[in-house]
Amino acid sequence: MSTSLTGTRPLLHATLRHDGRRFAPWVAIATLLTASSVVVYPWVFPDVAARRLLAVAIDANPTLSLIFGPAHDLTTVDGFNAWRALALGGFLVALGAIHAVTRATRAQEDSGQADLLASGVLGRSARLLTGVALAVVGSLAAGVVAGVVAALCGGGWESSLLLGATFTASGWMFAGVAAVTAQVGSDARTASSLAVGTLGLLFALRGFCAALDAPAWTLWANPLGWTLQTRPASGDHWAPLLLAVALTGALVVVAFVLQARRDFGQGAIAPRPGPARGTARSTWHLAVRVNRAPGVTWAIAFVALGMVFGYFTTSITDVVASNAGVQQILASGATTPDELTAVFLRTVLSLVGIVATVPGVQVLLRVRSEELDDRVEPLLAGAVTRARYYASHVVLALTVVTVNVLVAGTLVALLASRAGIGVSFADALVQGIATVPAAWTVVALSVAVVGARPVASPAAWAGVLVSFMLTLLGPTFGLDDWVLGISPFWHVPLTTAATPDWSGSAWTTLVTAALVAVGFAGFRRRDLAR
Amino acid sequence: MSDAVIDVHGLSKSFGRFRALDGLDLQVERGQVHGFLGPNGAGKSTTIRVLLGLLRADAGTVRLLGGDPWAHVVALHRRLAYVPGDVSLWPGMTGGEAIDLLGALRGGLDERRRAELLDRFELDPTKRGRQYSKGNRQKVAIVAALASDVELLVLDEPTSGLDPLMESVFQEVIGEAKARGTTVLLSSHILAEVESLADRLSIIRDGRVVQSGTLADLRGRTRTTIHATLARTPDATTLATLGSARLDGDRLTATVDPTRVGDAMAALTPYGLTTLTVAPPSLESLFLRLYGDDEGPR
Repeated sequence: MSTSLTGTRPLLHATLRHDGRRFAPWVAIATLLTASSVVVYPWVFPDVAARRLLAVAIDANPTLSLIFGPAHDLTTVDGFNAWRALALGGFLVALGAIHAVTRATRAQEDSGQADLLASGVLGRSARLLTGVALAVVGSLAAGVVAGVVAALCGGGWESSLLLGATFTASGWMFAGVAAVTAQVGSDARTASSLAVGTLGLLFALRGFCAALDAPAWTLWANPLGWTLQTRPASGDHWAPLLLAVALTGALVVVAFVLQARRDFGQGAIAPRPGPARGTARSTWHLAVRVNRAPGVTWAIAFVALGMVFGYFTTSITDVVASNAGVQQILASGATTPDELTAVFLRTVLSLVGIVATVPGVQVLLRVRSEELDDRVEPLLAGAVTRARYYASHVVLALTVVTVNVLVAGTLVALLASRAGIGVSFADALVQGIATVPAAWTVVALSVAVVGARPVASPAAWAGVLVSFMLTLLGPTFGLDDWVLGISPFWHVPLTTAATPDWSGSAWTTLVTAALVAVGFAGFRRRDLAR
Repeated sequence: MSDAVIDVHGLSKSFGRFRALDGLDLQVERGQVHGFLGPNGAGKSTTIRVLLGLLRADAGTVRLLGGDPWAHVVALHRRLAYVPGDVSLWPGMTGGEAIDLLGALRGGLDERRRAELLDRFELDPTKRGRQYSKGNRQKVAIVAALASDVELLVLDEPTSGLDPLMESVFQEVIGEAKARGTTVLLSSHILAEVESLADRLSIIRDGRVVQSGTLADLRGRTRTTIHATLARTPDATTLATLGSARLDGDRLTATVDPTRVGDAMAALTPYGLTTLTVAPPSLESLFLRLYGDDEGPR
């Protein structure tokens, strides 16, 4: 073991210096998430009365607990911070850890950089250890910085640090997961898809179990549930984090064993000879071909998402019935149960729409990465206009979004219509279809960015992030309508209303068209691979 | 003029503050194999990317097959094929699939020639992109380009990574293309390849063509080297007629103008030649002079 780790120290040193800063955005965003909760909460919800109202609003919209987990105590700043930041912060740091490990291991083997390193005086396991160490250090930094900054901004020290520790624990566990998937998948894309898929699945399961008050063991069986069990600010249990540390250790050991058994540059599955002749003869076929594997994965994910959200929708009446605050609102006549259900359905389907923009944006970003990998040049040296090449990918991205929303929307509609909660199949499906134009707008932003300003490609994610934040968090912060209106999902009409107002959809479609036009004009004019 | 397949005048292209091309002129006649040479970073690939309409020229006129490479992309690209120097294949796609895709996007390829080229280059089309070595990736691009019937081949260091056996197959195949009347722009560092294939050469340095002409033209501008062993030591006046001559014991090294080799022989014969080599200017010495010279040729 000792010689197989030779050279880890200088390699880690160099990696921290050159790749360490790539972890900075994850540290920053996790810190921002928790610090902003601490700073903004006393300001927006100054007294206990206002906070109780918020608690009622959150309870009335179980979609929120699907993402954020249960709100144990919203009367204190720390309690609010724990509710708002724990799940998302851990998720983000885990994503950062997955990328750090994959980049330092599998991605290097793909690019050939690993050959260069491995030919030096470097033990067989040194690169994997370096990747894991980078993620471990990065996650630790995220936890410590987030905890200390939140405490300095006015949070309680213990609960803030515990919250930071849950970020670190999430990062560590998924560094372990990514270390294993890097041995299983035979290239970087597969490896990180496997790890991110695991993260997404566990995250959805945790939200589902927490929102439905499932038996406690369902949370203990889920590693991401452990961070929830620490309950910062409403119990402060540190012990569940030990489980996370143990799991991390176990996963890393498994990864080392797997790595020792595989060949350099190969995965667990040996590649077989492929077809000698090709069937992809156009840019459209190529776009489909290149995005096929992630497309299939996402389609499966949306079937699962549709099932989870569908079952979740059927429980709306139970959730509402058990909630005293909601009963009060209903009794006062401010809203009707049907209206409450309709709004709830719209939120659930908007969430589906927002998640569906992710594969759409990925298709567009793939255009950029193909370009940087010098694979677009030989294509455009053929008799292909740039507009046609780009259009193939744009159409594919919009199709992927549409299909995914419709798949999940149909399942939600099917399950909701059979539950006797006063929602018909057609109503729910139409609501799902009404969500599609909003999702297109988010994808159109990435069309504009990749087409016209490819250097700013990461900005393509801005649409997804802003939509998510505004749709889910905006209303609870009492933001003005014009701010909420930045998210295209705010304009999705309530289709079950007596006279649905479709003008919002018309406007977002107009914005979509403008953004797509900007993207095409840019892609036609700019230098390629620059 | 009407027969120029590539006609570039005063082409400039900058990336930020870096001036990659600075008033480049390049003419390639129909049916010619034109060698395009220059040190690393001189602007060869940038020129080719402008010719392919991938980069937009900042200044100058560029005509390719009688059209504007930026505006008439599709019409022009049906008539040309391109081999990049650094071939990047889709990791999960087999070589055969990539060849068919690239061929189809150009407007179809010649089935018979596709099969023949795969055979001659000993390329296995069933392997995936990520399994190929550098040389084999290069072969995929070469087969894809040469399997279609085109008027112009644009080759950017096409043989980097090929073994000598495959290198000679490549030279044969280009020779056949030339016999069919195909025009070839061949950017390369392998001087032997250029020497055996090219009719004309253009040498680029710092974004500008510094010399252009036939191989004989360019050779004519450098001097022939003479190595001789002499029985008797020649006197100073004889040595002076030889230009730059150096005597090391009985061994003489001199460089003379190629037109004056006969005069030099006549001057040296009386001194009893025992060994003699007369080396024509090699392409290599030409390049060493052009690449290495800070101010370039005058």
